[in-house]
Amino acid sequence: MQGSLDMNLFWVAFWCYLAATVGASVYAGTRKAVVRSAVFAVTVVGLAANTAALIARSVASGHPPLSNLFEYLSFFAWAIVVGFLFIWRKKGLELLTVFAPTVAFAMMVIASLFPTEASRQLIPALQSYWLWVHVSLAILAEAAFAVAFVASLMCLIGDERGHRRLPDRELLDSIAYGAIGIGFPLFTVGALFAGAVWAQRAWGSPWSWDPKETSSLIVWLVYAIYLHVRRTRRGSIALTSGLSVLGFALTILTILGSRFLGGLHSYG
Amino acid sequence: MTVWIVAVLVLLAAVFIRGFRKWLSSMAGAIWILVALAVVAILGVMIGQNLPPEAYTERYGSVLGTFVHRAGLTGIFTSWYFLLLSAVLAVSLVACSLGRLRRIAAAGGRGRLSRVGSLLLHLSLVVILAGGLVTTIFGFKYPAPVYLSEGERMVVTEGGFTVRVDAAVTEFSDEGTVSEYYSDVTVLEGTEEVLSHRIEVNHPLVHNGVGLYQLEMLPSSTSVRELLFGISMRTEEGDAPLLTLPVPFNEEFEIPGTDVSLKVLEFLADFTYDIENRTASLASNSHRNPAVLVRVSEGGEFVADRWVFADVQSHRDDSGLPCRVFLLDYLPDFDRGITRFELSRQPGTPLLFFGFAAMSIGLFLTFWTRGARKEEA
Repeated sequence: MQGSLDMNLFWVAFWCYLAATVGASVYAGTRKAVVRSAVFAVTVVGLAANTAALIARSVASGHPPLSNLFEYLSFFAWAIVVGFLFIWRKKGLELLTVFAPTVAFAMMVIASLFPTEASRQLIPALQSYWLWVHVSLAILAEAAFAVAFVASLMCLIGDERGHRRLPDRELLDSIAYGAIGIGFPLFTVGALFAGAVWAQRAWGSPWSWDPKETSSLIVWLVYAIYLHVRRTRRGSIALTSGLSVLGFALTILTILGSRFLGGLHSYG
Repeated sequence: MTVWIVAVLVLLAAVFIRGFRKWLSSMAGAIWILVALAVVAILGVMIGQNLPPEAYTERYGSVLGTFVHRAGLTGIFTSWYFLLLSAVLAVSLVACSLGRLRRIAAAGGRGRLSRVGSLLLHLSLVVILAGGLVTTIFGFKYPAPVYLSEGERMVVTEGGFTVRVDAAVTEFSDEGTVSEYYSDVTVLEGTEEVLSHRIEVNHPLVHNGVGLYQLEMLPSSTSVRELLFGISMRTEEGDAPLLTLPVPFNEEFEIPGTDVSLKVLEFLADFTYDIENRTASLASNSHRNPAVLVRVSEGGEFVADRWVFADVQSHRDDSGLPCRVFLLDYLPDFDRGITRFELSRQPGTPLLFFGFAAMSIGLFLTFWTRGARKEEA
């Protein structure tokens, strides 16, 4: 193989997640426990490669792997798999968790479309420990939103009476709610507060209505609406699930948006 | 800003009108306010804010672009309706918190921590909005960055001091990329030197409440380290093939194999020409339209001084010269760089950060304590 160690490992993780994605579809059709175990094994190998790739890149570049979209999305894929592994053994959610590598694979595909070069030199604006705090917390929050997204999507696909082939809607709904309950505080503190504190030091004001700032606020508002609707059980499961799916769609747009909308957050 | 104050007063009065007060403190009210904020924010990010008017006509066509600009959709986040909406949110938060307070007092120990957290969470959002309001009213931010060269001074009227740039330094890594830039400055009050400070990205100077924040350093706009010229000698058989030659700045340079010599007298990063005074000058410090003034001599005799542009589309006049000269590239001069500062006063920031801390604790208590799950059940 050619290329740097971290890129080789990235591609190992990429192909593992792809193989596990295929396995997940097979499982959805056959529901054979052995297939799910195989998916688990391949996903874990992929996760190990993903982890090693991130570490290798940090060592080679001398800074955390959070400085451009490629690094962000590979880290995001990693966090998504870890998020799903927390509920891997939960009863009744076998079909939900088996799609962990699918979401991670989607992120790896997007990651591979961006420039992958690692620069040893961080641009001066990013030379701060706030890079760690702000970006890594945002990634963890968004990974929790990803878990909620898959659960809510299954809620929307299943019908009112509870489709027998899908996990129980109430259970899926409570998983989505739980995940957003983890993601929302992390997102508020990491993406918004830590970002504002850093922006005050680096740019001279905590909030500039930069496209990424504004779209992060929109994401926050959508999940705030979700929580208010869900906490009081005002809306149907379809409504809350819809909000959760919308929230994650906007999250993805926020991640990729700086590429197209420009603004202060344009780091490639 | 005055709208803000009026709106808050009107709303406070309105709170005492029953139906509206009930709606404001209700969950339905909260949800609709959040939805309205989200819709406005989505509009804002989709339209793009505070761009020059041409950007909108370019993006949306002349009719829609002009409409978007005239309708005030290009400054949504400073518009009266957005501020009004924020004020409604603030009043709603206070109203529902009062209800919460009553419920906490009434309810016993079960899930109490989570309820207190929720109260803290909502009230701290009011503090955050108040912080933003304080900055909006009492703060300022210079509309454009300040450009200063080494040795230059600037009077900061708002802070009652003068800042002098002692050094503007850019450091490079082995890869040739910028690794760091910083400005060593001295603050003067009257004629007295009060303090010296190194301003770096992420390490601002804050004096008398006014902050100076380091932005990207620019290379000198009037000097370069070296130029890369394309030169083609004129012969009787026509133009000779193009030679690519590195030429020093401000030094006599003889083109090899000829008796023609060049000397770069001047460099302008953004060339502009004043027709009335017949002088060339700098339009800005950006390297937008680089040009050099070249003195051409032949056999030791002066031939002509000509401006040569990096932009091949620019007017070119090499009539009467023994050679054609093209400016291909140049090495920028960072030793005489120009530092750029963002200047602002954000008096609401302490309040804002206090709100952040309180809300973080509130979030933790609301979502991550045992009571949180119990309350739901």
